Amino acid sequence: MRVLIVDDEQLARDELRSLLEEAPDVEVVGECSNAIEGIAAINRLTPDVVFLDIQMPRVSGIEMLGMLDPVRMPRIVFVTAFDEYALKAFEAHAFDYLLKPTDPARLERTLQHLRHDQAPQNLAALNPPSRLRQIPCWGRNRITLLKVEEVQYIASTPAGIYVIGPDGQERFTELSLRTLEEKTDFFRCHRQYLVNLDHIKEIALIEGGMAEIITDGDKVIPVSRRYLGPLKERLGAG
Amino acid sequence: MDTAFWETTGLVVALVQQMCVYLVVAYLLSKTPLFIPLTHATIRLPHKLMCYVVFSMFCIMGTYFGLRIEEAIANTRAIGAVLGGILGGPVVGLAVGLTGGLHRYSMGGFTDLACAVSTTAEGLIGGMVHLYLVRNGRIDQLLHPFRVGLVTLFAEIVQMGIILLLARPFGSALHLVENIALPMIVANSVGAAMFIRILLDRRTMIETHSTVFSTKALKIAARSEGILRSGFNRENSMRVARIIYEETGVGAVAITDRDMLMAFIGMGDDHHLPGMPITSRQTQQAIANNQVIYADGNEVAYQCSIKRDCPLGASLVIPLVGEDEKVIGAVKLYEPKTKLFSTINRALGEGIARLLSQQILAGSYEQQKQLLAQSEIKLLHAQVNPHFLFNALNTISAVIRRDPERARHLVQSLSTFFRKNLKRASGVATLGDEIEHVSAYLQIELARFADRLSVDISVPDTLKEVTLPAFSLQPIVENAIKHGTSQLLGQGHISISAATDGADLLLLVEDNAGLFERRPGGDGLGMNLVDRRIKNRYGDQYGVEVTCLRDCFTRIGLRIPMETELACAS
Repeated sequence: MRVLIVDDEQLARDELRSLLEEAPDVEVVGECSNAIEGIAAINRLTPDVVFLDIQMPRVSGIEMLGMLDPVRMPRIVFVTAFDEYALKAFEAHAFDYLLKPTDPARLERTLQHLRHDQAPQNLAALNPPSRLRQIPCWGRNRITLLKVEEVQYIASTPAGIYVIGPDGQERFTELSLRTLEEKTDFFRCHRQYLVNLDHIKEIALIEGGMAEIITDGDKVIPVSRRYLGPLKERLGAG
Repeated sequence: MDTAFWETTGLVVALVQQMCVYLVVAYLLSKTPLFIPLTHATIRLPHKLMCYVVFSMFCIMGTYFGLRIEEAIANTRAIGAVLGGILGGPVVGLAVGLTGGLHRYSMGGFTDLACAVSTTAEGLIGGMVHLYLVRNGRIDQLLHPFRVGLVTLFAEIVQMGIILLLARPFGSALHLVENIALPMIVANSVGAAMFIRILLDRRTMIETHSTVFSTKALKIAARSEGILRSGFNRENSMRVARIIYEETGVGAVAITDRDMLMAFIGMGDDHHLPGMPITSRQTQQAIANNQVIYADGNEVAYQCSIKRDCPLGASLVIPLVGEDEKVIGAVKLYEPKTKLFSTINRALGEGIARLLSQQILAGSYEQQKQLLAQSEIKLLHAQVNPHFLFNALNTISAVIRRDPERARHLVQSLSTFFRKNLKRASGVATLGDEIEHVSAYLQIELARFADRLSVDISVPDTLKEVTLPAFSLQPIVENAIKHGTSQLLGQGHISISAATDGADLLLLVEDNAGLFERRPGGDGLGMNLVDRRIKNRYGDQYGVEVTCLRDCFTRIGLRIPMETELACAS
């Protein structure tokens, strides 16, 4: 069982790792100190199980669930010191959770459960936000949380997904194009592009039923033939 | 010639005598409320009517008091007519003149028509002067004795002219005017001027009376402000009683609650002692019926219920009314047997009782507010953030594994924190105490966020003895971590400092997150409570001040006055 620990407190991570490593079949493949690092680590390491703290800076554990690609969703075990509201939801939907400080016997029961039950969890029951408020991005050596309404467009390249913000700068994000399309109002105008309709300055029609969008940041995005009709419709110009 | 001179002089003296009688009547009248509207130039109709009635009376009186001379009457009628016009305007002047004139006409004589016409003319002249001054916005100059004298002088000259014009035979008219012109002009001008003088004196008196009243009332209000707010007890009652006693100058002042004497000051304080039960029938009645009782010692007998030879001879009892119109006590003013109650003090008494009632009411409201804040803070103590508690325990359990010694220190800090929470559920603490409390809390948080949090505390030793409401600092620091640094992806820093700002202590808690948001209710509870407690205790100019630069810093300032005794006392 490959396990990832996401918790913003170093000692809490240490403690949990110590407890987990007592189990022979558990391998702790990584530790993250916030949800944003967590998303990246999940994408990179594809762990089987994530032990996820709920209260974390800027992006909570629950909010983080909404940012993960459902296709690559690992099993989640929630860890919390005290969160009445969340605990009720866990109980109601039979989610695995651990309380801090963690009782080793309780952890063992949870692991036992994980070893046998591989069925996907119905995380929707926890009501992770269905809309993104912010998109975690990696700039030069720092994490930024771009507000959704500030984003101009999103481009998918072989190197990854890039978010283009108000400054025109491209920032890498760990969120999948599918997640971004489903959880924002961005419009798919091309196989590789999502555009924020609020930032379109003009649409230039070019030969062959194609078009180009010019954003208010003067960036040019291609519109493919099959998306031009729906785009016009969305903009009420069809 | 000699005889004529003596005749004229005699007539002047006689007329001046008449005028004196006339002025005495005016003076006596001035003591009645009838006169009050006359002390100002009149504009409103009821006042004009009053003006007409009074001055017509004077006009007629002037005729009656006149001296019969050669079938004519040397008189002081002009005073009424001219003053009626000056005070009431042309219409009133005309009406007064006409009334006086018609009355004179009814008495006959060869000048009857001339006198009637001239009196009407005099009223009109007064009215024109009134109109002129009002139109020119100089209404305040109407009541000017010298000016009025001059107007009357002019009016009398006009009258003499009219007599010469209208009275027949002309010879007799001329002879009459030769005889009466000087005496009448002098007597009427001087009389009118003196009449105005009486009016002015009367006005000054009314105004002085009300000035004395307002001054006393304002002084009592200002001096007693806030005393009873801090509680309706014997000590505060005594302070208020002393103020009333000093300001009103009555014989004695007492304040009671429903059952006993709370304070007494003045004559008879040898046997009216605070703490004694109420024995006076008047007081019992006033409290039972919520009724002002006045025993003036004359019509309503007053006898001190404690001692027969008590010097006090009259009392005024006014109930004090608290919440829901319930009587909570009474204020009593006394005068000795040798003195009468002045109307000022009677009116003041009722005002004072209202003032005190309101203060007591405000006081009980404030007390309730404080109790509420007090119980809220207790609730806050009892409800130590469970999130903090379990995280602390989790941290300690992790530390035990690798550094038992450090773990023991952390357990120590945690118990210090809880112990201080429990111990100081109310009242005040020194800044040193608060810092210790916060330090214990921070030891745990620093362990939790080991790699992400740093704190510096800079509080000069000289300020450590300053007192403030207990539990003021910790909630602010807790907020700075919970909603500030713990929300940072990078390094968090908190600085706590204390400084003086004039006579105030300024505590600053600054984080480098800049994520402060005003949340309605909810999480801001701790900070709102701190703010409210400080404001309740010290006033609205103190409390919590927030400065926030988004994503940069949040600075919470606590402003507290450094009056150590004040804080210790309550």
